[in-house]
Amino acid sequence: MKLGSWLTSTAVVSAALGLAIAISQGAEKEVQIAFLNPLSGNNVDAGQQDLNAATLAIEDINKAGGIKALGGAVIKLVIVDTTSDPKNAASTAERVFSTQKVAGAVGTGISGLTLPILPVAEKSRIPIITNSVNDQITSLKYKYTFQVTPKGSQFGSTQVQFLKALNETYGLGIKDVAVVYENSGYGVSTASSIKEIAASAGLNLVLFEAYPHGFTDASSLVTKIKASGAKALFPVAYTTDAKLIINTMKQMDVSPVIIGGGAGFLWPVFAKEMGPAVNGFVSVASWNWDSKSISSVPELASITTRYEEKFGTFMTEHAGPTYVAVRMLAEAMEIAKSADPVKVREALSTFDNDKIGGFMQPGRVKIDGTGWNGAVHPVMIQWQDDKPRTVFPAMDAVRTFKR
Amino acid sequence: MDSTIILQTTLNGLMIGGVYALVAVGLTLIFGVMKIVNFAQGEFVMLGMYVSWALATFVGIGPYPGLLIVAVIMFVGGWLTFKLLIIRIIGKSDEAFILLTLGLSIFLQNITLLAFGADYLTVTTTVKDAAIRFGGLAISLPRLIAFGVALVMVAALTLFLNRTDTGRAMRATAESREVATLLGIDPVSCFAVAFGVGTVMAGIAGVLLTPMFYVYPGVGTLFNTTAFIVVVLGGMGSLTGALVGGLLIGIVEALGGTFVSLDLSQLFAFLIFLAVLFVRPSGLFGRSA
Amino acid sequence: MNRTGRIFLAALAGAAVLLFPVVTTTPYYIHTVLMVFLFATMGLGWNLIGGYGAQLSLGHSTFFAIGAYSAVLLMVNYEISPLVGGIVGMVLACGAAVVIGLPCFRLRGPYFCLATIAAGEIARILFLHFQEFTGGANGVPLPFHGDDILTLQFSSKAPYYYLALGLLVAVFVLVRWMEKAKIGRYLAAIREDQDAAESLGVRTDRVKLIAYVLSAAITAAAGVLYAFTVGYIDPDGVASLNLSIEIAVVVIVGGIGTLWGPVLGATVVVLLTELTNMYLGSLRSGASLVLYGLLLIVVVVARPKGLISLFDRAPAASLPKQVGTRVHVA
Repeated sequence: MKLGSWLTSTAVVSAALGLAIAISQGAEKEVQIAFLNPLSGNNVDAGQQDLNAATLAIEDINKAGGIKALGGAVIKLVIVDTTSDPKNAASTAERVFSTQKVAGAVGTGISGLTLPILPVAEKSRIPIITNSVNDQITSLKYKYTFQVTPKGSQFGSTQVQFLKALNETYGLGIKDVAVVYENSGYGVSTASSIKEIAASAGLNLVLFEAYPHGFTDASSLVTKIKASGAKALFPVAYTTDAKLIINTMKQMDVSPVIIGGGAGFLWPVFAKEMGPAVNGFVSVASWNWDSKSISSVPELASITTRYEEKFGTFMTEHAGPTYVAVRMLAEAMEIAKSADPVKVREALSTFDNDKIGGFMQPGRVKIDGTGWNGAVHPVMIQWQDDKPRTVFPAMDAVRTFKR
Repeated sequence: MDSTIILQTTLNGLMIGGVYALVAVGLTLIFGVMKIVNFAQGEFVMLGMYVSWALATFVGIGPYPGLLIVAVIMFVGGWLTFKLLIIRIIGKSDEAFILLTLGLSIFLQNITLLAFGADYLTVTTTVKDAAIRFGGLAISLPRLIAFGVALVMVAALTLFLNRTDTGRAMRATAESREVATLLGIDPVSCFAVAFGVGTVMAGIAGVLLTPMFYVYPGVGTLFNTTAFIVVVLGGMGSLTGALVGGLLIGIVEALGGTFVSLDLSQLFAFLIFLAVLFVRPSGLFGRSA
Repeated sequence: MNRTGRIFLAALAGAAVLLFPVVTTTPYYIHTVLMVFLFATMGLGWNLIGGYGAQLSLGHSTFFAIGAYSAVLLMVNYEISPLVGGIVGMVLACGAAVVIGLPCFRLRGPYFCLATIAAGEIARILFLHFQEFTGGANGVPLPFHGDDILTLQFSSKAPYYYLALGLLVAVFVLVRWMEKAKIGRYLAAIREDQDAAESLGVRTDRVKLIAYVLSAAITAAAGVLYAFTVGYIDPDGVASLNLSIEIAVVVIVGGIGTLWGPVLGATVVVLLTELTNMYLGSLRSGASLVLYGLLLIVVVVARPKGLISLFDRAPAASLPKQVGTRVHVA
């Protein structure tokens, strides 16, 4: 009987898996794109924004007549929940790449989930465009990996340059700075890039401290910031941690110039939490909805307006690049005149576009030899009138920084 | 070393310790009476936060005034959970309880995600960034309130267990189910009360946490491991132990975080925890086996 | 069913498992069954201490991570073959098991369980903290340099499948032998009543430690295979409490303290995760895990002794009793 149970279970495996194959065939004039992002677990909030953006991009493409080079084929999104567990991310990628016919893939926005997916895409020969910011992603020499967003190491330099500009414009004379960062891939790469260039920018690093992601008490951290005497603070923080840090700083009456980094200072919930006090906060962002290259082009600006109408919040730094990634895949199919993933990859590898590419600052997407959009750089935003506005660098800025 | 920093750090530790104790009290009560580790306790804290958020958003009752309403709703929820699920595996093995409460925790987190979506929610209070300041020191007001409530809860529960018939019956059940049955006590109804009250404690903790944290489906997991180690450190089932354990862990984490390294602060908590266990395997206030 | 019938069925099942990657070339199906093998292997290993020894451990991801990190780091930094690195990892995991086990085995019941959680979290924090050495939160990706058995890198899934199958069979045979050997009887005695076993002269700490160390080595081996199959490791993925819990859940769902329980449990849990994710994952956030959580609840309410009890004709033999610890309130 016990052997029987083993046999039964084996039979169930094969049957269940076999059944799934049948469902995957699409209609004639339909091209599928895989969407891989966390729709459950700890990172679900990011995944949901990516999904919103991808849905909007598909709608836009199909409304405009689908893929013209393929006789107006409509695009269908194959939505895959990678969950927030790297182990599942790998196996869900295996699933979609080997049981579905897809022209390419977008995702994920979380480095720890993207990295296990990349080898799967490489072996399956499916081009994947990610909006994760980890520096390692395009250093692995994968041919099928494309990264549309700025790299983590650029965030730090943008923040430092911004502070330098503040010092010059307002004569602040800030020298002593503190860096506190979440101990995650994103936090580590941003923080270490600040550390690397701080000295050359004439800054004196008085505190450089990692804290565990999802910690429950920021008071030790703030005590240290206070004791360090820093005049400016670079906090790299995700949502919950940013709330803790900001509220604790108010409680302990610590008020250096804050130059934020990361989702914690950018997402709509931060405005809800802070109320009117949100205005004035600055942060670095991998993308912002009103950067000059977007708001100066009506077609591009209308994307952000429609996103806001449809989903109730401004388009976030996760949503923007995902939207671009989907449109890039469609554009690559037009160039390749094919939905064959190998040909789509070829088209992506020399992708250079300032139409939909204008949706990424500084107004162009240009893929370099490593698969990275080397044209891109992060921007600084400041909350004004309850929304994040691009204030730096000058080429992307639409508002001026207010003290 | 600057004495203000040492004082401030100790205060920080005491305050977060109060929060830890608050989360651990319900867990230790359930453990003490029923001998089960409830892996869904963090999710009850999360549900308490959502109820508190709903009250604030739809009815306009803020977290602190709504405390009693949340407590009542959570008691009903806990009691139902007991009657529908927990009761079915009483007397079964430890691992059955682990699996049941794990399943419950996954279920509750995701049903919340289904119902409310992935967005972080926030309850606006004037208290959230308020503090009491004196002599260069600062005490976070929401944490001070949580600390105070933790003290009151431990005192009230201790009184309840010592001075009421139900409480005494629960203590007898905790000591020995067999003996309790011989004395004419119905252990199962004692379990039901313990589970219900434990859930209320989690809910109250949730309410007091809403000014400090965003409300989202995974928020309960922030405290999971800490709550476990506080309970074991104090001695499973000991309310005073949960309080002292919470404060000890809080202070150790704060001192380690301020004076050594923040990303290692939890490490110190775990080390203290293991060290205490090895010297006193039944915890600080636990009766040895 | 008679003996011939059973042998016939066993041969059939064996052939099906062996030929599976030949019949289907779809990497996903091979990958899924491979994950079943890995979890079955870890379940069998966990069961040595958690089931037969009745010491519920929720810290096994530490050993998984030690195996994975040793093999990967030795290869990436020193170009040492994972065949060697894997053994180094298993030995290190055994060492860690001794360090954790010696003090923790003084603790009983839930105290032991929670101490292993603490030990596991300590390991995760250390993996995160020593960035220069482990790559910290960034994790370690394994760049693919073409097929090579010495570096355990294959463009196809099938070689990993057979390696995992081989590991599973080896561990299964080992555990089966242990069940009948002296150590198996000692473990059974400890499970029934540790104090009585001690009074009969069983050196319980030593017996438990042997089981724990073996179980750590098995988990580490699975970690090595996982790392090379997936090609990326990071502390939150391979050293997490979630993974520790998953390993235990596999065994509890299948049937704790039984030989076939972990195998059945791994099959059911892995397939359940995949199927709920496949059909509900894209519907609405959370739907797949709602069903997964519900199914765990249903299994434990309907079959508290695990799904393996569905196949028992007679009531299950001795299963671990509730580990009682006297605790007082207030």
